[in-house]
Amino acid sequence: MDLFPRFLYWFPLLCLFYNLWKKFDRRRHQNCYILDYECYKPSEDRKLNTRFCGEVIRRNKQLGLNEYKFLLKSIVSSGFGEDTYGPRMVLEGREMSPRLEDAVNEMNDFFLDTIDKLFKKTGILPSEIDVLVVNISMLAAVPSLSSLIIHHYKMREDIKVYNLTGMGCSASPIAINIVQNIFKTQRNVQALVVTSESLSLGWYTGKDKSMILSNCLFRSGGCALLLTNKLALKEKAMFKLKCLVRTHHGAKDESYDCCIQKEDDQGYVGFHLGKNLPKAATRAFVDNLKEISPKILPIRELLHFTLLTLIRETKKKCTKTGAGARPAINFKTGIDHFCLHTGGKAVIDAVAQNLNLSEHDIEPARMTLHRFGNTSASSIWYVLAYMQAKNRLKKGNKVFMISFGAGFKCNSCLWEVMKDLDQDGNVWKEFINSYPPKTIANPFLEKYGWINEEDPDTFHVSDDYVIP
Amino acid sequence: MPQALPNFSSSVKLKYVKLGYQYLVDHILTFLLIPTMVGISVQIILLGPEEMLKIWRSLDIDLVQILCSSFLIILICTLYFMSKPRSVYLVDYACYKPPITYRVSFSTFMEHSRLNLKDNLKSVDFQMRILERSGLGEETCLPPAIHYIPPTPTMEAARGEAEEVIFSAIDSLMQKTGIKVKDIDILIVNCSLFSPTPSLSAMVVNKYKLRSNIKSYNLSGMGCSAGLISMDLARDLLQAHPNSYALVVSTEIITPNYYKGSERAMLLPNCLFRMGGAAILLSNKSRDKHRAKYRLVHVVRTHKGSDDKAYKCVYEQEDSQGKVGINLSKDLMVIAGEALKSNITTIGPLVLPASEQLLFLITLIGRKIFNPKWKPYIPDFKQAFEHFCIHAGGRAVIDELQKNLQLSSEHVEASRMTLHRFGNTSSSSLWYELSYIEAKGRMKKGDRVWQIAFGSGFKCNSAVWKCNRTIKTPTDGPWQDCIDRYPVHIPEIVKL
Repeated sequence: MDLFPRFLYWFPLLCLFYNLWKKFDRRRHQNCYILDYECYKPSEDRKLNTRFCGEVIRRNKQLGLNEYKFLLKSIVSSGFGEDTYGPRMVLEGREMSPRLEDAVNEMNDFFLDTIDKLFKKTGILPSEIDVLVVNISMLAAVPSLSSLIIHHYKMREDIKVYNLTGMGCSASPIAINIVQNIFKTQRNVQALVVTSESLSLGWYTGKDKSMILSNCLFRSGGCALLLTNKLALKEKAMFKLKCLVRTHHGAKDESYDCCIQKEDDQGYVGFHLGKNLPKAATRAFVDNLKEISPKILPIRELLHFTLLTLIRETKKKCTKTGAGARPAINFKTGIDHFCLHTGGKAVIDAVAQNLNLSEHDIEPARMTLHRFGNTSASSIWYVLAYMQAKNRLKKGNKVFMISFGAGFKCNSCLWEVMKDLDQDGNVWKEFINSYPPKTIANPFLEKYGWINEEDPDTFHVSDDYVIP
Repeated sequence: MPQALPNFSSSVKLKYVKLGYQYLVDHILTFLLIPTMVGISVQIILLGPEEMLKIWRSLDIDLVQILCSSFLIILICTLYFMSKPRSVYLVDYACYKPPITYRVSFSTFMEHSRLNLKDNLKSVDFQMRILERSGLGEETCLPPAIHYIPPTPTMEAARGEAEEVIFSAIDSLMQKTGIKVKDIDILIVNCSLFSPTPSLSAMVVNKYKLRSNIKSYNLSGMGCSAGLISMDLARDLLQAHPNSYALVVSTEIITPNYYKGSERAMLLPNCLFRMGGAAILLSNKSRDKHRAKYRLVHVVRTHKGSDDKAYKCVYEQEDSQGKVGINLSKDLMVIAGEALKSNITTIGPLVLPASEQLLFLITLIGRKIFNPKWKPYIPDFKQAFEHFCIHAGGRAVIDELQKNLQLSSEHVEASRMTLHRFGNTSSSSLWYELSYIEAKGRMKKGDRVWQIAFGSGFKCNSAVWKCNRTIKTPTDGPWQDCIDRYPVHIPEIVKL
């Protein structure tokens, strides 16, 4: 009978320990790791140099001198170089009447090139993929582009696939959010996330100034990532997701309308970028920072900031005069590298000023803008690839990614580097040594600056004028 | 006469044998457990009360030990209940009912078709033949832009249609459930063929002023089975986020996808697809356990994209004149049947009662080992489900599934009547069908519903719901004014 009371004690205790261990074990399996990623470099014949850009602008017979002056101003201050890539139908001169086939082929080129390289790099077979998330904002084909990938790579029948569209330039963290949630409920999952932008069918052929801008800003690019929560692959992982925060300001009308696809007065569909875009972006950015800062900054910095704010508030109440400059949070205490969405030179400058970043911190973003342009949702991965190519990423470093998108959304996430990363298989590898260049001004001004001197009444370009 | 009688009696005997077998196998655990429990209790009673007290005293347990043990047991029970996967409940759903002014009767459709395709009489004839055999009724609706001659599918008109369909459905849902917009934590919108920037989910956030930390997702291009894909995503998200509401909006925007050319295989969608949309509220809050209509039991997804023929059978492309349309291939039915078989293979073990699974296993072993000529046993899914919602893709799809699953005409009545009244509304058709079953007062507590949908790619997705409470015949809903006229007999060919 002595065994029975002993059993009475030990059995519940064992159950308790077993349950606790199960809970702890589950948490271990919920981490989201990036095994590897591959950015897309389109073929060399798709480069848009200065001369060709001039040709494309000239081909649009709707544009007049005023539009030329506006375009010149925008492109000069865009931060682009001579090596950004455009969709093939523009280079073949068919931008006035693009076809569905062009859009699908554009995506096909990207998938076959990048996803193949990614599978070869990591050694994972397509049949091992359990989750596929594809986000390509401006193209919704039937069957979906995710089905195109499944068809080409002969993936399994029980694959979980999601095709996101319309989510703008901030869609990468959203795709990762889906995968992160699936990782929380299932074990030993491998996910493939593919993000890109289809420019063929979104090319604007009218003359509304707010809409031509998108033609000058967006360029071809894309990225494919392999994520997993398998503990066995932890050693091979490059990054671990620490936290992800999404902010959606669609409830405010000015934020919703500042970046919207619609028809202009003549019925041409284009992407309208409103004048209050910077303001909407700043508001969303501030809200997002408010939510993510407590999660990523060390307590010391948070206490320091709280203390300074309190002192400033009491000073303001006591004295009638101003209380001096607002205390600024030093984000570098919790973050080592910043991956900013390359929305444009103004965006990068604004974010750098808000976060008090140095030139060294925003160099990856500026160089990405110069070399690849604004590749929409995949731009942050090119910025990350630049940092990796420059050997800046060491084990334990924290990388902060932030992106803005239509709607208006601001999404950010924090990654921890799992091991020292080198240049292997990086899209920047071949030309990283020539960056940063001595000057990033593009030759647009010297080539086309004479347009600024022209008078609208006397301006005329003959049809057989050849741009030098 | 004497020959008929033995057949009849033997078939009745067979039926009872089958019933007895099913009852035995389904409740085998009870059959094994009850004698054991009875035996133990008899032994204990035989011991007598004094003997039991003596055993209890000899254990020598004092108060502290009792308290510790009970505390531990309570702790374990709490941990166990906390770690169970959270149930996902469907609180309520609302379907969009188009106004009567958008109605497209056969005569309207044929007249417009003749005027739009005046150079191609063969295509007009083709459309007429499709319409005659389609199973659609005279009250299906198309958006206003398509009523023009020729149709004017501008982006503004498409946005207008999206706003009307989605906002009406969500307004109706808010009224039914009484929840406030600031309570919604997750928003998923799925619309296959129209994806503006900013997305339709951003449009919903803007109109209803949803919270800034809402998790919104916009799925598109996933075809008619996208509604169930959204359910799967919502379920995964609700597992990761406790105490949340998820709003799922399923629709298909017809305006930008009206085929303006004359290629025959691409005219088919014009004849079948109609306006419709549904908004569904899901929750994992324990307080909704009592007022929710359904509980989500399983979602099973099958993707046949790796097969070439399956991938190409529903394909968007340009015809010889550059007009964009969706091409439906001729072997759509065969591929649908195969995709269904794959899906059933996965869902069968999850839902079929033990008796059916045993029979299936026996015939499988028999075929492999003894005699390959044995007919494969098709499990009787009527044992596992009370109601079936088959995506109203077209008359042929419903016929094919009825044959494959051996369903009676009452089981597929909801699908056929939805096709007749609303046409093929793509991902939202499943919700119109569920609404039909409720409107007929057939939904009782404990009933299991199987929703099956097919989509481009080629996908076959299915969801299993269990009814949480007997649903009173609803006084609102898309069927409210016409449910008394249904079911309607739909002839094979309607002469136009």
